[in-house]
Amino acid sequence: MMKAFRALGRAALAALILSGFGAPAALAASKEKLTIGLSQFPSTLHPNFDSMLAKSYINAMARRLITVHNADWEVICVLCLELPDLEKNTARFEMTPDGKPGLAVDYSLDPRAVWADGTPMTTKDIKFTWEVGRHPETGIDNVELFRRILSIDVHDDHRFTLHLDRRSCDYQGINGFEILPEHVEAAAFTDPANYRKQTFYDRDPTNPGLWFGPYKIKQVVNGDRIILDRNPRWWGKSPFFDEIEVRVIENTAALTANLLAGDIDMIAGESGISIDQALSFERRHGDDFQIIYRAGLVYEHLDVNLDSPILGDVAVRQALIQGIDRQAISERLFQGKQPVAHGQVHPLDSVHYDRIPRYGFDPEKAGAALDAAGWTMGPNGIRQNAEGTPFQFELITTAGNKTRELVQQVLQSQWREIGVDVRLRNEPPRVLFGETIAKRKFTGMAMFAWLSSPQNIPRTTLHSEMIPTEENAWAGQNYTGYNNPRMDTVIDDLELVCEEEANQALWQELQTTYATDLPAIPLYFRSQPFILPKNLTGLTPTGHQYSSTHWVEEWAIAE
Amino acid sequence: MIRFLADRMIQSSIVLLLMSFLIYGLIGLMPGDPIDLMFSANPDFTAEDAQRLKALYGLDQPLIDRYFRWLGDALQGDFGYSRLYSQPVFDVLGPRLGNTALFLGVSLILSLAVAIPLGLIAAMRPYGVLDYSINLVCFAGISAPPFWLALLAIMLFSITLGWFPAGGQAPPGSGFLKTIEHAILPISVLTIASIGGYTRFMRASTLAVMRQDYIRTAQAKGLGKTRLVLGHALQNALLPLVTIVALSFGTLFSGALITETIFAWLGMGKTIYDAILGNDYNLALIGLLLATAMALIGNILADILYAALDPRLDFKSEGL
Amino acid sequence: MTDALMSPSVSPARRRLQRFLRHRMAVLSAIILILLIAAAMSASLIEDALGVSATKTDLFGRFLPPSDKNWLGTDEVGRDVLARLLYGGQVSLLVGLVTAIATAIIGALVGLIAGFRGGWIDALLMRFTDAVISLPLLPLLIVLAAIDLNKLGLPADLATSEDISLYRIIVIIALFGWTSVARLVRAEALALRRRDFVRAALAQGAKPRHIILKHLLPNVASPLVVATTLSIGNVILFESVLSFLGLGIQPPTPSWGNMLTNAQDVIWDNPTLAVWPGLMIFVTVIAFNFLGDGLQDALDPRADLER
Repeated sequence: MMKAFRALGRAALAALILSGFGAPAALAASKEKLTIGLSQFPSTLHPNFDSMLAKSYINAMARRLITVHNADWEVICVLCLELPDLEKNTARFEMTPDGKPGLAVDYSLDPRAVWADGTPMTTKDIKFTWEVGRHPETGIDNVELFRRILSIDVHDDHRFTLHLDRRSCDYQGINGFEILPEHVEAAAFTDPANYRKQTFYDRDPTNPGLWFGPYKIKQVVNGDRIILDRNPRWWGKSPFFDEIEVRVIENTAALTANLLAGDIDMIAGESGISIDQALSFERRHGDDFQIIYRAGLVYEHLDVNLDSPILGDVAVRQALIQGIDRQAISERLFQGKQPVAHGQVHPLDSVHYDRIPRYGFDPEKAGAALDAAGWTMGPNGIRQNAEGTPFQFELITTAGNKTRELVQQVLQSQWREIGVDVRLRNEPPRVLFGETIAKRKFTGMAMFAWLSSPQNIPRTTLHSEMIPTEENAWAGQNYTGYNNPRMDTVIDDLELVCEEEANQALWQELQTTYATDLPAIPLYFRSQPFILPKNLTGLTPTGHQYSSTHWVEEWAIAE
Repeated sequence: MIRFLADRMIQSSIVLLLMSFLIYGLIGLMPGDPIDLMFSANPDFTAEDAQRLKALYGLDQPLIDRYFRWLGDALQGDFGYSRLYSQPVFDVLGPRLGNTALFLGVSLILSLAVAIPLGLIAAMRPYGVLDYSINLVCFAGISAPPFWLALLAIMLFSITLGWFPAGGQAPPGSGFLKTIEHAILPISVLTIASIGGYTRFMRASTLAVMRQDYIRTAQAKGLGKTRLVLGHALQNALLPLVTIVALSFGTLFSGALITETIFAWLGMGKTIYDAILGNDYNLALIGLLLATAMALIGNILADILYAALDPRLDFKSEGL
Repeated sequence: MTDALMSPSVSPARRRLQRFLRHRMAVLSAIILILLIAAAMSASLIEDALGVSATKTDLFGRFLPPSDKNWLGTDEVGRDVLARLLYGGQVSLLVGLVTAIATAIIGALVGLIAGFRGGWIDALLMRFTDAVISLPLLPLLIVLAAIDLNKLGLPADLATSEDISLYRIIVIIALFGWTSVARLVRAEALALRRRDFVRAALAQGAKPRHIILKHLLPNVASPLVVATTLSIGNVILFESVLSFLGLGIQPPTPSWGNMLTNAQDVIWDNPTLAVWPGLMIFVTVIAFNFLGDGLQDALDPRADLER
C-alpha cells in the first residue's frame, strides 16, 4: 500500500514538475553577451579539416569565405569585389596546358581585408592556401577543389586569376576556398605530413592572426564552450553583441532545459534539436520564444536497392509510394513544417521543376498495381507472388534518430495495410554509413538524407559510374545501383551546357526521369528549427550548408 | 608485503597489456571508420579523397599492424593524438581527469557519509519502521532510471526553482563558488543513485557482524546496543564496505556516463563514450586503460585492506 | 520470537514461507509482480478487448488523452500507450528474467567448480573473474553493441533479424554479469567443502560431479535465488540505460527503456508519455529488490535470530 501510494505520489510529482512551471518570456540577456546552444562540438577549428556543421557555424563568426550562397540561395561575393563573369571577360574559356578545355577566373580581394592581428590579407595568403590544399600529405577533406585549380596568377596584393582544369556552369563561386593566414600557418606547414597536428588553429586557437571576421576566438574549453569577442580590426559592419558564447550540450532534452533555465539564450537551427522536439517545445513554450522553421536542403528519402528481386521492378516502387501517406506524415507529424518531397530537388532551388510525375496516397490504386505486378494477397494478409514468395523487405535507418524511427514505424504500419511486410532494423550511424549503405549491403530500403548546396548536380548519387562495387573500392554514392544511360547523359551534359534554356531543359528531364524511375522514394525535406529570444532581430536562416552566422553582424536586440 | 605488491604490479601490467590489445581489437570490430562517416554525409566527397585520407591516417593498414605501431609509440611515451579534439591525448584527458576526480570524489564521500549511518541505524532495529523507511528510500534511489532522475532534477531545480545552473561546468577561472554551483546538481544525482547500494551493503554487513559470537557475548554481558554497534560492530562492518568501494573504482571511473551526458559534465565516462563512437582510437584506448588501471588498483587496495584489517585478527586483539 | 516458529514440529519449508509472509513489502512486491506479469502476458487479449493496437499507427489520432478506448491515451504516432506498455513489459521482463537466469547459471558453474576444486583451477578461475570485473563495463558494452555480427560469422538471417537487438543485449549482459554470482557461490562452496557431509561423500569415493550436483548445489541454491531476483531488476534498469544511449532494444519492438527514451523528445508538451514507462521501470525494479530482500530473509535461517 505504502509503495502504491509512493508511486502515485511520484507520478503526481513528475506531472507537477513537468507541467506546473512557467518559464519567463525569454529575452536575450544583454548587449554584452549572447549565449548560443549547439548540440555538437567541432573536432577542430581548422577550416579545411573534418567538415562539420558545428565548426562552420562557429567559424563563420570569426572568418568569412571568398564567395558564399546567401539566404536567397544565390552566390555572392564576400571577400571579393565582384564575381567573375564570362560576359564581362573576368572569366574566360582557355585550354589547359595538356590541351583540355579549361577556364580562367579573375578575383580581387577586398583591399580592406585584414587579419585580426593587423596583418593585411593578400594574394600571398591565397597562394599559401592553395599550396596547403593541394599537397597530397596534408589531409585536407575537400582536396578536389584545390586540385581543380591548375595554377594561380598573382597580379598584385589583391588581384589574382585561377586557372581551372574544366569548364562548368557554376564557375562563379569558390565557396570552399577557405583562406589560411600565411604569416601564421607557414610555420606549421614546414612538414606537410604533420600539418594537421601542427596547425595553430588547434594549438593556439586564440591567436588573432588566424581570424578576420566580426568576432575572433577568445577562449576554447574543449568539449564545453567557445567564447568569441569583438575583432577590433573587422572592416565591415560592427556587430551588436560584445561577446558570443557557444555552449555545447549534446543531449537535446538537456539542451532545451538549459534554454528554459536561461543558461543559454537561443538554440541554433543548424546544429540544434530535431523538428519533433522543437514542435513539442513550441506547443508548450511557443509564446515565450521566437521559433523559426527554415526549410532546408536536406533531402530525406528511402534509397532502394534496385538489385532486390522484389523492389527492382519500377511498377512495384510506384505502387509502394502510393501506399504511404506522405502528406499526412508532413502535416500531422511535422505540422507542415517539413514539406513532402516529390523529387530530389528542393522546391526553393532555382532549378526545381514542378511538372514531374507525383504520387498521392491511394492504397487502392497501390493494391491494384501490386496485383497487376503479380503480387496478390496471401492468406495471412501478406502479398505473395506466383511462387509463393512473400512480399517482404527490410527497411533500415540510423539507430537513435527518433524522428526517423517514428517515420519508419509509420511507413511499416501503412505498408502493412496494403499487404506488404516490412521488417525494421536499425544500426548506429557509423555502422550504417560506414558499412551497410556504403557497400550496398542493405537488401531492401535505407532511410537517410543528403545535405547539398543549391543547384548541386547529383552526379555522385545517380550516375551509373558511381555505383560502389568491390572492384572500384566502393567508390561513389549511387547506393541504389541506379543505371539509366539517359540519366548519365543528362548529368554529363548538365555540367557543360550552361546556356540557360538548354540547362533548364536538362534539369527538367533529370527530375522527370528521377520521379518516374524512383531509384529512391522521396519522403520530405527537413527543416531547421531556430529557437530564438523574442527580441532578437536580424537572424536570417539560410536553409543550406552555409550557416546564418555568415551574417552575425546583423544580429541585434530590438529596443 | 613487498613481495605481494610486486607480484600484483606485474600481474596488473600484464592484464593492462592484454586489455590494450583486446580494446584495440574490439574497436576495430566496429564497422565504419571516421573517413567513411565523413564520406557518407557529403555527396561532393570523392572515393579518391577517402582512399587518400585513409592512407594518411593509417586506416588502410591491418588492425594488428596498427596496434603494434601504437604500442611501440606508447612505450616511448607518445600516446598519440585525439582525432575528436585535435589535441594530444593527455591534453584532452588532463582537465577531464580533474573533473572526474572532483565529481566522483565528492559524490563518493557524500554517499558514504550518508550510507554508513543509515545502514547502521537500519541494522540496529531490523524490520522496524525506521528500517523499512530506509529500505524504501534506498530502493527508490536504486530503481529510478538515472537519466530520468537527472532530467527531473534539472526541471525542478534549474527551471522551476532556478536555484542551480542546468549543466556544464563553470568557465575556467570563475572561482570556487561557481565551480561548486555547477557541480551541485550532477553530484547530488550521482550520490542519490549510489547511496542505496552502499546503505544496503552496510546494513547487511552490520547484521552479519551482530550475529557473531563475540557480539552476542558482549550483549550478554550487558553492553548497550548503541555502544555495541559503535564500539565493536562498526569497525568490522566497515571492512567489507570499504572493500566493495575499492573494487568498484573502475566502474565508478567510467560509469557516470549518463549523469555526465545530461549535465554536459566533461568527465571520463562521457569522454570514453564519445571516443568509442567517434572512432578516436587513441583517446578511447587510453581512457579505457585508465579505467582498467583504476579497477586493478582498487583490487590491490582491497586485498591490502583485507590483509591489514582482517576481522579475525581484529577479533583476537579484542580479547573476547 | 513466537513459540510456533521455534517449535520443531513446523517443517522448514513452512517456516520459510512464514518468514517470507512476515516481510510485508516483499509480499506486496510479489503480488504486484505477479499482476504485472499476468497483465503483460495478456497484452494481446487486452488489445483485442479494447480494440486498440500497439503497432498500428494513426497519424490522425496522435497524443489522444485517456479515454474508454485508450485507457492511457495514444503516443506520438497514434498507438495505444497501454498496449505498448504491456508489450514493452513482456520484452523488459523477458530480458530481465532470461539474462538473470543466464548469469546465475554461468556464475554458479564457475563458482562451484572453483570452490570445489580449489588449487590452481580455483586460482585461475578467480583471476579470470577479477579480470572480467576490472573491465570497464559500460564502455565495453557500447563497443559490443555496435560490432558487426556478420564479421563474427553469425548467419546473415539471424544477424539481421528484427529481434537481434534483444538477443544481443541478453548475451552481452550475461557475458559480463556473472562475476558477482561466481564469487558468492565460490565462497559458499569453499565453506561447504570443509563440512562433514561433503567430506564423507568424498571419502566414499563419490564422483565430483555427483557431489557438486547432489550436495553443493542445493546448499548454494538460496543465495543464488536471491542474487538472481535482485539482478532481474538491475538488468531492466540497465536496458533503459542502453536505450538512452541508442543501443537498447530497437523499434518496432517496444521496451520500457526505449519508450522512456523516446518520450524525451516530446517531454515538454506530453510528459505523461515519459511518466508511464518510467513508473513501470521504477515499480518493477523496486519490487524485485524487495522480493529479493524478502527471499533472503526467508531462505536464511539465521534471519530468525534477529527478531
